[in-house]
Amino acid sequence: MDYLAEANLDMSHLPVLLVVGLAIFFGTIGAKIFQRLRIPQVVGYICIGLIVGRSGFQLINAAALKNLEPFNFFALGVIGFLIGGELHRDVFRKYGMQFFKILLAEGMGAFVVVAIGTGLVVWWAHGDVATAVAIGLLFGAISSATAPAATVDVLWEYKALGVLTTMVFAIVALDDGLALALYGVASSVAENVTGKGTGNVWLAMGKIAKELLGAVCLGVLAGFILNYLLRRLRQADKGLGLIIGWMALVIGCARAFDLDMIVASMALGATLTNLAPRRSHPAFSVVESFATPIYVLFFVSVGARLSVGSLPGWMWGLVVVYAIARTVGKMTGAYLGARWAHAAPTVRKYFGLCLFSQAGVSVGLAVLAASRFNGEIGGTMIDGVRSGGIRIGDIIIMTITTSTFVMQLLGPPCVKFAIRKAGEIGLNVTEADLIKERAVAAVVDKKSPSFNEGTPMAEILRVIAEIDATVYPVVDDERRLVGVITLNGLKQSFRAEGMSQWLVAFDLMEPVPDTITEHAPLAEAMDRMNEQSLEYLPVVDGEESLGLVGVIEARKVRRQLSQEILRRHRVAEETDSPALQAFTEQG
Amino acid sequence: MSLTDYLTADRVVILSGRTKQEVLDELIALSCKCFPRLVREVLAEAITHRESLMSTGIGQGLAVPHARLDGVTEPMVVVGVAKDGVEGYESLDGGPIHVLLLIVAGKGQHEPYLRLLATALEVLKDPAVREAIINCPSAQEAYRTLTGV
Repeated sequence: MDYLAEANLDMSHLPVLLVVGLAIFFGTIGAKIFQRLRIPQVVGYICIGLIVGRSGFQLINAAALKNLEPFNFFALGVIGFLIGGELHRDVFRKYGMQFFKILLAEGMGAFVVVAIGTGLVVWWAHGDVATAVAIGLLFGAISSATAPAATVDVLWEYKALGVLTTMVFAIVALDDGLALALYGVASSVAENVTGKGTGNVWLAMGKIAKELLGAVCLGVLAGFILNYLLRRLRQADKGLGLIIGWMALVIGCARAFDLDMIVASMALGATLTNLAPRRSHPAFSVVESFATPIYVLFFVSVGARLSVGSLPGWMWGLVVVYAIARTVGKMTGAYLGARWAHAAPTVRKYFGLCLFSQAGVSVGLAVLAASRFNGEIGGTMIDGVRSGGIRIGDIIIMTITTSTFVMQLLGPPCVKFAIRKAGEIGLNVTEADLIKERAVAAVVDKKSPSFNEGTPMAEILRVIAEIDATVYPVVDDERRLVGVITLNGLKQSFRAEGMSQWLVAFDLMEPVPDTITEHAPLAEAMDRMNEQSLEYLPVVDGEESLGLVGVIEARKVRRQLSQEILRRHRVAEETDSPALQAFTEQG
Repeated sequence: MSLTDYLTADRVVILSGRTKQEVLDELIALSCKCFPRLVREVLAEAITHRESLMSTGIGQGLAVPHARLDGVTEPMVVVGVAKDGVEGYESLDGGPIHVLLLIVAGKGQHEPYLRLLATALEVLKDPAVREAIINCPSAQEAYRTLTGV
């Protein structure tokens, strides 16, 4: 502490690593607390950001946020890359036209409703039609973007899989492109309407096209090269460094050439997964395993950046209208788009709910608009000069920042609600996920035969011949576990002729190597079996009482989990079927 | 595996008891004398428990009372000869018991324990050997007949 005092430390000069540590550590704790409350973890990250950021204690202030920018670019790149990894050729083939129609409808829906709503508020507050049209158009364009990161994080957290999830993955990433295009047109028109611009729509569109097409070209080219490099790579453990380094290069190039970095990394991921679906799988797993702290940092920064300052009364009205209009526009557009595209019923009903999150691109466009539109509205005109009003740029930034705060907190729970109603939660699971979420009670075989210690060997052989098990518990008269008979151990008793007539289970049993209770986590049981090279564990009602409940056999558990994974994947494939729709409605 | 690996002359006894309990007590006492680490009460309880599940009288005049105990690291065997047979020792063929092998092994010694049982039966399944053992005048003689030493 003395050192800090002597160094006259102010918060803007916190070392970057200290800020990173603070953000990741407290962000993770916040997420855990919110997860306990069954609220998506991303909301926890953002709330911690709010507490430590500009709206709270200002531990992470503007200067610190500036230092974190490269991490955030990288986080967006990682998110884009992983989204790209979900876009397989067959998904495009199956849903390509649906993507296009729904994207257009939800983006344009938000654009139109927000433009009209916010334009009317500005006109009502200030009576200036031209300014109202300009601000309305800018808000409309900004509102069409959806934050992919917060949305996709919920899909990953809840292991979602199905047609709704597929749509969300594709469209939340692509609608940033639509937002950029709409902003290009809207800002040019706004400049012309307010009579301040050199606004050339075609020039603006050309710039947007360069940003998007350039990003796609960069991503595709980088994907081909990365695929080649991965094919040549013999040491799997070098994969992480190569992929992370390559992604950072692609993101850096996109930044350097003013290209859309999310689209570039998405194109990289999509190219890789389509060129080598199997070989690229470990690459995506490697990035996923590495990504968590980057996400935490990113979302904490998002929260820290939000500034909910004091706004004039009518601007609160503008914020409310913006938020409502965006919600209505997105939901209506998504519904109409899904109908137009003949999408699955779950997409029609719930897709709109997945589009509320608003962050990076919207805030970025708001900053861009603020630097471009610096005239004032309100105040008084003295000698043809307006004074005491509010800058248009400030209106846009404050409205977007405040509504982003609301949308970022409401968006993720809405995504969770949508995927739950669509029946897609927990369908994209691995064996490790299932093991983590289950207790021993879920897999214990209670019908597996056990033998009393006095059971003759002849009877044991008769039962074993009919049952598929490799281990049989032996119990005393009070059904307490006293040993186990294994097939391997049983072979020893075939040595002498006639022994089967007088040997009993007590003679054939081996000591119990370990036991587990049925309330213990399955992960603990699997760990214990692995550590002791056991293929089974007897399950008892208590470590002391040793009352036999059943047996778990590792091979049977694995078979059961594989069947469950297959079942869930089949359910996910059928999520656009009317049958499942009826099922989820009943549920 | 051979019986000589586990049996010495002092581990063979001509039994004086007449009932099942008496001869088992004699064999348990001999075991504890030959293997001082064995606790008499523990061994007696284990043997009694096993007999309560099913008699170890396996027919042809033979009985193999046995038990597996914690802390035993090597299988142990003692042999008793009851010239006049044992009262109350049920046997698979209903005949009287004349030769008893008491075997003790560790709880984890599943394989050597069953192997020792099998080896002893291999030797004793020959009726001539059994007859010779029963007619032996001394324990020393019975040991020689049993092991061929």
